[in-house]
Amino acid sequence: MTPALERSGLSRRGFLRAAGGTALAVGASGALTACGGGDDSGGGSSTKELSFVYMGTAEQQATWNKLFAKFSEQHPEIKLKAEGIPLSNWGDFFNKLSTRLAGGQVPDVIQVATEGQRLFASKGLLAPLDDFIAKDKATIDEYYADMDPNLIEWNKKYSSTDGKTYYLPGEFNTMCMWYSKDLFAKAGVPEPTAKWTWDDFRKACDQIKAKTGAFGYAADSAYFAAIMPWLLTNGTSSFNDDWSKPTFNDPAVIEAAEFQRALVADKLSPPPGGTFDAPTAAAQGKLAMFGGGRWPIISIRNLKVQNKIGIVPWPVKVEQGSPVGWNGYPIMKASKKKDEAWTFIKFLISKEGSSFFAQLGGTIVPARKSIANSESFLTDAPKGTESLYQALSYATPIPSPDKGAAVQKAIEDGWKQVLTGNAAPADALGKTQTALEGLV
Amino acid sequence: MATAVAELQAAKQATPQQRRDWLPGYLFIGPAVLLFLVFVAAPLVAAFGLSLFHWDLLSTPEFAGLDNFRQLVTDEATIRAVINTFVFATASVVTHIGIGMLLALGVHRTMTRGTKYFVRTAYFFPFLVSWAAVALIWKYVLDPSFGLATHYLSSLGLPVTNWLASPTWALPTLIVVDWWHTIGYTFIILLAGLQTVPAQLHEAARVDGANAWWRFWSVTLPVMSPTIFFATVITFIGAFQIFDPMLIMTNGGPDGATQSIVMYTYEKGFQSFEVGYAAALSLVLFLVIMIATGLQFRLSRRWVHQ
Repeated sequence: MTPALERSGLSRRGFLRAAGGTALAVGASGALTACGGGDDSGGGSSTKELSFVYMGTAEQQATWNKLFAKFSEQHPEIKLKAEGIPLSNWGDFFNKLSTRLAGGQVPDVIQVATEGQRLFASKGLLAPLDDFIAKDKATIDEYYADMDPNLIEWNKKYSSTDGKTYYLPGEFNTMCMWYSKDLFAKAGVPEPTAKWTWDDFRKACDQIKAKTGAFGYAADSAYFAAIMPWLLTNGTSSFNDDWSKPTFNDPAVIEAAEFQRALVADKLSPPPGGTFDAPTAAAQGKLAMFGGGRWPIISIRNLKVQNKIGIVPWPVKVEQGSPVGWNGYPIMKASKKKDEAWTFIKFLISKEGSSFFAQLGGTIVPARKSIANSESFLTDAPKGTESLYQALSYATPIPSPDKGAAVQKAIEDGWKQVLTGNAAPADALGKTQTALEGLV
Repeated sequence: MATAVAELQAAKQATPQQRRDWLPGYLFIGPAVLLFLVFVAAPLVAAFGLSLFHWDLLSTPEFAGLDNFRQLVTDEATIRAVINTFVFATASVVTHIGIGMLLALGVHRTMTRGTKYFVRTAYFFPFLVSWAAVALIWKYVLDPSFGLATHYLSSLGLPVTNWLASPTWALPTLIVVDWWHTIGYTFIILLAGLQTVPAQLHEAARVDGANAWWRFWSVTLPVMSPTIFFATVITFIGAFQIFDPMLIMTNGGPDGATQSIVMYTYEKGFQSFEVGYAAALSLVLFLVIMIATGLQFRLSRRWVHQ
């Protein structure tokens, strides 16, 4: 026998083991979460610190830490242990949080956006806030008086299924159109106004492309930012009013998708699915318009083009529209520090807390009208920034059934099929509709 | 077999002194066994259990009997994912072994020592980069607006498509990216195998009048067959577990064209919160890999040189 064969004989045996082991590991991957299910101990409920879990990217961390420092200054008796999970979308954040809860790690307070509020409330994981609210009526009344009543109304309607209050509505995002003033001027197109239409929008895209060669708009398949605004301004939505039935094959949805597909087909938009960075392209004069809530401000400030960009409400076909999503800070039922948790929540909704959200890396609009209309929010930002708060008067809460991440994926995949021209709009969206029906 | 039985009998007759001598052995394997029990065996048992329940991570699990397995058979998306995974794994094995063998032969035959080191390192290098980085880099390369591939292909007048967004091209594109990323590993294994083919055998064959092709067929291949077999099975298992490029580059799309079994399991478990169903899916994957590997071992008796 040659040395090679001896070795292969050995490797064959070792190999069987390796092969078996790998297969086992894969088989097991789905079950890892089973280990710690069952009891709700651990986490904040058993430690001395008040534990808070929120979604925050690394670049926002410094600003959050300032807020926590301020809280510790005012309440030295409460030791806050805050943990930011650096994810970029709510679907992933909820997956992570749900996995942790299933594993028995229960924080005292968590940050939950509209996309997950009803889910968490309906699972009996949260403590009702009604007693706390009754006790601190003056504080809450003052807070609510400084807020668009719609936000309070929606919060009541969508974030609870049993009439109890689990969340106080907090800072939010709506969608408006961000545009490059330079490109509009260069193409000789008048800047958009609050009352502009889909036709005006399309004409602007055509003219800007013809005169400057720049793209008109960056068509995309992001559920909140690039699909919902077009549906809502066309008088339709992804789901019915109580989110129990998808309406993704509605003729108005198909019409909106066709409108978007035409932009791509006519090369007024860059091809979808790439890593095109809209704010940068706009700053470089390669793109005239892109949709955004408050968050593009980070890039716009980094690029130092605050004065060259404007913000207007979304163009309208049937009626004014914008999706809206807001944050809530519920107390977990398993928490043993509910009073401290409430103190922390009161701090978050205070004027001080709210003005902090005006600055938080610039990603969100503060819930308090007084702060959203103050200098701290409006300076160093594009003209028209106030449109983001005004959009609350006509906005629609982002439809968020329990299987939010799966719903979002189905919607975005179907929309992308239309944008790329791989499938006819009616076929692709009909298929999406069927997938969505299976998810609710 | 015979030696194993003899060892067992010897073990029964061992003196206490001999048994004490085994203690260090047990201590050495202890940590590995413990890790295996906690991270492999226990989750596997748990997966069997979970697959019999409906559980959404947040509520109390409900007993479901064989519901999850019934759903498996009728779920079109599962069938799609299984087919995609088979296509991916088959293409992966063929391209890795076929082209890997050609590369290994080329490097082994034609190169001087210095160039050989360089080329070996160059081929192996991508394998050292993590999947996440590879996937992101390729996403940029293939970007429909400003990707390198898009740019050079169109400047050469070649047709350009939106590779990752096309239901036809997305899976082949991922097969190519996977090939680029992991070919170095197959290549190194095959090259090592080639280098162990004894020169005397070639010499003897040449004396007997065998031409180059005949020598490859009758000497190189048989001697290398265990190496090729090893590479085949490893590649197949790796390909069957493919997940990262799907998640990062295509998210399983467009229209499910790149949905793999592991990706679908992840989606069901952690995005739709159907943990029981995901457990059932992972058991299916476990079975498929076990059966496929067993089959390969069985078939190997026909062609692997013992």
